[in-house]
Amino acid sequence: MKPSIAVGMAILLVFVLLGGPSAQAYLLDSTIPQAGGCPAYDRWNLSLASPLNRRWSTSLPEGPPTLVTVAAQGSAAQLAEIEQVITDSFGAWSGVTGTTFNATNYPGLIAPLAQVSAANSCSNDAESNVDGLNTICFNQSSMGFSTGVLAFTRVITANAPGISVGASATAAFAGQILDADSLFRPDGQATFATPAALATSAGAYDLESLLAHEIGHWFGFDHSAVWRALMFPFAPPPGQFLGSRPTAQAPDGPLSDDDRTGIRLLYPDPNDTVNIGAIRGRVLPANPFALAAIPAPSQGASVTGIFGAHVVAVDTDTGSVIAGTLGGWSCDSSSSVLRFDGSFDIERLPVGRNYMIYAEPLVGLATPSDFSGALNDLCASGSAAPCTTPAVDTNFNPRILPAGP
Amino acid sequence: MMKITSRLRRIHFLCRCAALLLAIGGTAKATTLMRMSVAQMSRAAQVIVRARCQENSTGWDAGEIWTFTSFEVQDVWRGSAPSRITVRLLGGRAGNLTSSVSGVPRFRVGEEVVLFLERTPRGDFCIVSWEQGTFRIRRTAATGSESVTQDSASFATFDRGTREFESAGIRNLPIETLRAQVDAAVSAEARRKQ
Repeated sequence: MKPSIAVGMAILLVFVLLGGPSAQAYLLDSTIPQAGGCPAYDRWNLSLASPLNRRWSTSLPEGPPTLVTVAAQGSAAQLAEIEQVITDSFGAWSGVTGTTFNATNYPGLIAPLAQVSAANSCSNDAESNVDGLNTICFNQSSMGFSTGVLAFTRVITANAPGISVGASATAAFAGQILDADSLFRPDGQATFATPAALATSAGAYDLESLLAHEIGHWFGFDHSAVWRALMFPFAPPPGQFLGSRPTAQAPDGPLSDDDRTGIRLLYPDPNDTVNIGAIRGRVLPANPFALAAIPAPSQGASVTGIFGAHVVAVDTDTGSVIAGTLGGWSCDSSSSVLRFDGSFDIERLPVGRNYMIYAEPLVGLATPSDFSGALNDLCASGSAAPCTTPAVDTNFNPRILPAGP
Repeated sequence: MMKITSRLRRIHFLCRCAALLLAIGGTAKATTLMRMSVAQMSRAAQVIVRARCQENSTGWDAGEIWTFTSFEVQDVWRGSAPSRITVRLLGGRAGNLTSSVSGVPRFRVGEEVVLFLERTPRGDFCIVSWEQGTFRIRRTAATGSESVTQDSASFATFDRGTREFESAGIRNLPIETLRAQVDAAVSAEARRKQ
């Protein structure tokens, strides 16, 4: 029988207005500064003078074609149809209110979509080639495409100020994203259909669902463990799509509340007065001695809480999952001490609503390996204070305080 | 307490149901991965090994940052492999830059795994379908028996017929059973070629 190291769990909840320092991983990638210090979210440093550049390569695979459109292959109309899907996929994210990426309130932070003709526009074989240009490629081969891989996004971040690559801006902070590229498999093992062509394209994946997901990675997202989230690692099977199609009234239709909360956290609108709530607490075993056997993450430190619990905020009135995060650690910004103390922090929640919080082990819905990026970055090699990220604790049974035995 | 717990579970279950009914019709697919059976992966893999992670390093190649993970090969299930192999995985840290690619497995030194591999033009290996071709070995201390769990075997899917959640992929499968499935797929392929 599977041993259980913890039969109970304490969640200490504090519902406060945002204001304290954020030190939680959420489901976002993070970077340990080269000079030491707390992990910093990976994100862009954008302004009207330096908007997010974006382009896509109009070079498309021909033998066999991998992009299925209503318009004829090789026609200008086909390029327009694909470009509209790219535009709508970005629009899903820039349609979220409460962020500086919101196209209505902050027009100009995302540059116009440009076209480039070279097939290998996402990278070439030159060593250390990162061009600082954010590109979507449909006709670029890569050794990353082992059998079964459909698409991937590579995001380059700096771990110190002063770093730049190619045409990128110079990093102003650790964790600044300098380059993002998405590559779709070009060799015909898979096909991708635009929304207009999806219904009649047997076996094709929905281009918009995959693109919107990949663009989420551009903004700094890792995967989410929330079922309905666009950033959930599994997309719909061929012929199906996620959420609802974007419309003028609801451009963010493909996203879930979890996705919206995440991008508000990364790029908060300083004028937002709605999504400013936070719930913080710790996930602890009923028997603290259960943690004694966990190896020390660094000299003189110990694990004092459940690490890697999936903590979810549910709107009690609607039953909707509003946000989920990966709890388990905190970092004191004054001392830069990283503690694996079971802390969690769910921010950018709409105020004036009631929430129920639950924590669950990362089993069944998702496993720790699905979030390896966010977890591994906590203890990055080369950090000023080396440590070893503890193994994710999946061996507990959650209960809510006031709890019984 | 019991009332709260019961309500919580009910809400959680309803959330899962609602989300799945909205988002997933049948089987789930990875955003970046094409769903493959063990038989399909066995046919796609040039080499299948049981191995122990020995070392991780990062470096540039072909315009990308890669993590190169070396493994001590403990057993070869398909093809041929030297006693030590290197697997290249997208992403990693090089100098002041970090390349992040979600969905790529990472390995800890000492960890034992079963890997479905393809050779790259550089002479090292890549993993078939990334997470899907990665199986972590877990040993039960009391009995010494070993089981494997697929990295992508993490998501339950809603079966409309039974109205129950069922986990996709392979979880806690005795390693001998996985080996038998691989052997059967390889044998079937050999018969077909004859």
